Amino acid sequence: MTTLLFIVLAALAVGSAVSLVVQRNPLYCAISLIFVFMSLAGLYLTLAAPFIAAIQIIVYAGAIMVLVVFVIMLLNVEEEERKPLRLRALVPLAIVGAGLLFAEAAFILYWVNESGADRARSVGAADTGLTKTIGAGLFTTYLLPFEITSLLILMAIVGAMTLARRASAIRPTDLVVPGSSVLARQTLTPEPDSDATPVYSRTTDEAEHALGLAGVPHRREED
Amino acid sequence: MIPLSWYLALSAVLFTIGVAGVVIKRNAIAMFMCIELMLNAVNLTLVAFSTYFHDVTGQLFVFIVMTVAAAEAAVGLGIIITVFRNRESLDVDDASVLRN
Repeated sequence: MTTLLFIVLAALAVGSAVSLVVQRNPLYCAISLIFVFMSLAGLYLTLAAPFIAAIQIIVYAGAIMVLVVFVIMLLNVEEEERKPLRLRALVPLAIVGAGLLFAEAAFILYWVNESGADRARSVGAADTGLTKTIGAGLFTTYLLPFEITSLLILMAIVGAMTLARRASAIRPTDLVVPGSSVLARQTLTPEPDSDATPVYSRTTDEAEHALGLAGVPHRREED
Repeated sequence: MIPLSWYLALSAVLFTIGVAGVVIKRNAIAMFMCIELMLNAVNLTLVAFSTYFHDVTGQLFVFIVMTVAAAEAAVGLGIIITVFRNRESLDVDDASVLRN
């Protein structure tokens, strides 16, 4: 029964993966990838790992693929057009290399089958994949990697925001004063006939001198 | 009981398909999805070994790999959006400014 389940899920995973590579519309690629994730979640269940199966569906099929599909919809991607293959001379070499790799992999798998790796599985003690066991390991022995993971996510958030921001929010005519860009935005816009050279300054006072606003009374931020 | 080598073979096949996809595909988003497929193949190996050797460390590592994949998705899609905004195209052959 489990063997049948494995065969069905593995066939679904491999078929969807091939479809992911073959499809040319990115949206169909994304749907194929979601099928791969679903069948992998089923395979995790056959491996007695329900927690990993759950977060496979929640994180991968839920969060990441929604993000990918959202970007595909946002960018309105057109289908890939076929282009002539570069380096056509290397195709026979690639086939030979693939055959070699396949033979190597088959040999290694055969060897793993023969050396008693499967006999390492003992009876009982089947609580490896339970949420309780994983939580206990995650918050005791591997607490430091877990905290570093949170730092990684924070950096990813900051990086994504920096990347996706509009890069040209500051025009070349704007006067940029570090720490108070609002002043720069308001003071530089009025003269449309002024030359377009950007003015750089290090302090607010320098900016006021450059703009001829030195004597104008105004509220400073320090007040 | 299913032999361990079946899972390893499936994982190797999936990883190879992912590598082939990264090499073949020209669309940046499709390449990104093939990278996700490779990460999943590695996860399958880790979970299989973890179950067969009764060691929870493999599944903890899968947890961390998934976190890295989520971070990669956020940053990678940000890069893809920026490239598309600058070049009006997702073809990676168009984004070859660094090659002289």
